[in-house]
Amino acid sequence: MLEVDHLNKVYDSHGRRVEAIGDLTFTVPEGQFACVVGPSGCGKTTLLRTLAGLLPPTSGEVQVLRRRVTEPPAGLAVVFQEYGRSLFPWLRVRDNVELPLRAQRIAKARRRELADEALAAVGLAGTGSAYPWQLSGGMQQRVAIARAIAYQPRVLLMDEPFAAVDAQTRADLEDLIRSVWQRLGVTLLFVTHDIDEAVYLGQRVVILSAAPTRVADDLDIDLPADRDQLTTRADPRFTELRSRVYAQIQKVKADPPGKEG
Amino acid sequence: MTLLRRTLLALGLPVLLVAVWWWASAGSTDFYRPALSTILAAFADTWTWDRVRADVLPSLARLAAGYLLALTGGVALGVLIGGNRHVRAFLEPLLEFLRAIPPPVLVPVFILLSGVGDRTKVLVIAFGCVWPILLNTVEGVRGRDEVLSDTCRTYRIGGGLRLWHLLLRSASPRIVTGARQALAIALIVMVISEMIAADNGLGFAVLQFQRGFQIPAMWSGVLLLGLIGVLLAWGFRWAERRMLGWYYGQRAGRREW
Repeated sequence: MLEVDHLNKVYDSHGRRVEAIGDLTFTVPEGQFACVVGPSGCGKTTLLRTLAGLLPPTSGEVQVLRRRVTEPPAGLAVVFQEYGRSLFPWLRVRDNVELPLRAQRIAKARRRELADEALAAVGLAGTGSAYPWQLSGGMQQRVAIARAIAYQPRVLLMDEPFAAVDAQTRADLEDLIRSVWQRLGVTLLFVTHDIDEAVYLGQRVVILSAAPTRVADDLDIDLPADRDQLTTRADPRFTELRSRVYAQIQKVKADPPGKEG
Repeated sequence: MTLLRRTLLALGLPVLLVAVWWWASAGSTDFYRPALSTILAAFADTWTWDRVRADVLPSLARLAAGYLLALTGGVALGVLIGGNRHVRAFLEPLLEFLRAIPPPVLVPVFILLSGVGDRTKVLVIAFGCVWPILLNTVEGVRGRDEVLSDTCRTYRIGGGLRLWHLLLRSASPRIVTGARQALAIALIVMVISEMIAADNGLGFAVLQFQRGFQIPAMWSGVLLLGLIGVLLAWGFRWAERRMLGWYYGQRAGRREW
């Protein structure tokens, strides 16, 4: 599970002080699929990097699996937006997936098994011996997802993972992530700027305000667990929820919390 | 077809120049500028197996030792400096100073410190050619991709795996660039070091021929050094293609998209 408690992050560089995150508090219970949306520049990536232990908070704290985060926590995996840069270009696909397992000193046979399973789960069985740069963008992001799956995390963070792939691939990857989440039972925090994507994927959508960021709204997505690109997106409830999220985001954009005081 | 064309292109200019040299120097009576045919005849007479064993192999051994020393030392120090900005700030002024010293100047100094033997020559070669390796390694390590660094941190990839798969492999294209420059410098410093207080080696031999007025032999020594340079460059390119296959593949792929 994830707990964000009065998180505040101020960037202070070259005499310019930017409050990226004002005061953020929310909890993602064990096993939940939570999406975080917000206007651009609202500190979504900052939040994710803080949760991943890549960035220390200015004040407040974050907890992952009931431990205060001071460094990248064990049992947490991240899928970055820049799939092309998060894979090792000098390693073949299988070795990319296996590298975190090698760092955990998992035996070779078991590593191979986990990597094969993970690659099969993302539909990339048989591409293990290719180099990442020989694959298309969507396939590269699948490799990054396979690497996260093979790592067997309890918490999975995704930072706009599909922002840079084409629409068709994106729909496929969205369904892939739903099925991965259902199968692994991980706690999943999915950061996106795409409202439709957030509503389609999540059990819950946390809407952030513009910087300095707070939680503007927190919606339960009471769509059926079995989701489908055609029927779910045509569901009147889906349309209603996405309209609500959209209206909220328009509101926070027009009305930044800084001005309210 | 392309292979044939490439070979013709690569060999065209050397063949042309040799032909011009041959034609222009034919029948030369100038003592210092003998005919190419005379030089080639001297080449065959001079570089016999005994001579190769006495002069060429010791030179190449010193070259290899000095170059490998520079390669390991430069990469090790480069990773240390590139991986930590405090170490970098601390060592940079000293390195700038050392780098500015022309390596041949150090031959007399090293002779005083470690004698006239092979050790001095190996050290001078290493000192002379370490800089491009060191500086390129530092830049390569510093320029590693941030997303890849974050990936290593979140997946808790540390120690030797991080050293190899993040730092060294990231820096490897730059290291290879530095190593290529270093190889050319190493050859030059090798020859110079053998011209001062030496009793064998290619540089020593060429200087002896010149002093003994064996002019065709002297020219043949220069030719041999050029040939060694070409062979080393070929060998280097072969090794580079093998090591950086991923790099060229990635770059070719990017251009396609």
